Amino acid sequence: MIDNFSLGLCHGLMLLAAWLLLFRTDLDHEPPPPHDEDPQPRFGQRHAPAETMKDAPRA
Amino acid sequence: MRPVRDLAFVGFLLALLGFGFRRPFLFVLAYVYVDIVSPQRLTYLLLNSVPISLIIVGLAMLSYFLVDDKRDSRVAPRQMLMLMLLAYCAVTTSQADFPVEAAFKWDWVWKALLFAIFLPLTLRTRLRIEALALFMILSAGSIIIVGGIKTIASGGGYGALNLMIDNNSGLYESSTIATVAIAIIPLILFFTRHGTIFKPDWKVKLFAYALCFSCLLIPVGTEARTGLICIGILAVLMLRYTKRRVLYIALMAVGGLAAIPLLPQSFTARMDTIGNYKADSSASTRVAVWKWTWEYVKDHPFGGGFDAFRQNKLTIEKVETDKTASGTDVKQTLEYDKARAYHSAYFEMLGEQGFPGLVLWLLIHGIGIFRMELLQRRYAKKTAEHQAWIGPLASALQQGHIIYMFGSLFVGIALQPFVYMLVGMQIGLDTYARRREHEAAWRPLVKRIRGAEHAPAENAGAV
Repeated sequence: MIDNFSLGLCHGLMLLAAWLLLFRTDLDHEPPPPHDEDPQPRFGQRHAPAETMKDAPRA
Repeated sequence: MRPVRDLAFVGFLLALLGFGFRRPFLFVLAYVYVDIVSPQRLTYLLLNSVPISLIIVGLAMLSYFLVDDKRDSRVAPRQMLMLMLLAYCAVTTSQADFPVEAAFKWDWVWKALLFAIFLPLTLRTRLRIEALALFMILSAGSIIIVGGIKTIASGGGYGALNLMIDNNSGLYESSTIATVAIAIIPLILFFTRHGTIFKPDWKVKLFAYALCFSCLLIPVGTEARTGLICIGILAVLMLRYTKRRVLYIALMAVGGLAAIPLLPQSFTARMDTIGNYKADSSASTRVAVWKWTWEYVKDHPFGGGFDAFRQNKLTIEKVETDKTASGTDVKQTLEYDKARAYHSAYFEMLGEQGFPGLVLWLLIHGIGIFRMELLQRRYAKKTAEHQAWIGPLASALQQGHIIYMFGSLFVGIALQPFVYMLVGMQIGLDTYARRREHEAAWRPLVKRIRGAEHAPAENAGAV
């Protein structure tokens, strides 16, 4: 009884999740991210000065 | 009832595979499910006579290499390390002290490692990473909920909690499920804030909190001491993300004290042996096995291959101290044992794969924890919808990983497939975040030039 309840609940949710995934186009392809105005510096890289970033023309 | 359940399993798998032909990534999820839940071992007809695991992993890999878009797949150094570990294990298996037993373990180890190397290649989108985490939680949840309810109903007991399958393998082994159940709690909590498949409404939160409670009950039900240690580690780790720390500590203390009277007596008695481990033969045996392993690798620095512990012969020193009216009574006894398992992932790697294997293993896990730290710091202040989830997921994966590293001090789960799926997810998240960062920073040359042309005019206008 307990076994079947737990199995039924989790399997039901997995099946529902799989069903919902079928209709999600972003499962396989995502639109490109918006331009990051304040990218994090990488190791050893200096942070870009704030003014430069602000003045930079928007794409 | 059995045939109905068996048919339900078959129907579920067929549906999942049917969906896979429309969305091939679902084959990957189907394999994750089969590997964790092992439905073939829960059924009595149909599934137990078909190599479903092999069929599904074949479908997953074939569909990736034939159909999936591979432009966004990235290879991380840790995949290389796992490949090296895989090759190294192949060599030690061919020269193992116990070739037959080693081949038996190799049979599942190579699959776990190969899948962990393959998995990050498929994790190209946010939704895929989320879906993988969800399937891992729900698959493990089907065992954890059973354990949780039975613990409430019967109180459990060491080796007495029936988790649907009698044999001690995979996540159905009590210490393993106790460690994994606690390790996935941060991941479950992640879904209460950042899920997109099931939006985090009251139903999702109710399920998630109930599942977390069930996870906390697993160490009680299985009476696995490792589980209690893992809960302690989790409590400490969560302190980092708590704003009101004093209140948190006070609540934890009150909650812990309130829970003690509710715990079964056999559980508290067993947990007492953590402090007084010398009197406990299971704990003393571990120490003896670890000493033996250390002596063994001094002579065999490249390890003895899988299951090398079978050759150990141990003399176990047991010290019992009893407080009597006249003082403390110390009783020392010697016990003899042989072929005892390592009961520690660290010594398992050391004894079976020697120093090179242990170093590779430590690198794979150590780098994972380090990378997740970098990732969560990098994304800590990102609030945009497409970035806000990365930091919390990295933190959840890191916490789970640290709990595993502590839990595995006392359980021989060095190559547990579930953990390698978590490692695969970490790598997938890491490469995904790096790639998206590049994409976000990158702007076509034409736009940049055009922007530069317009900039002086705009600035002049502003002045």
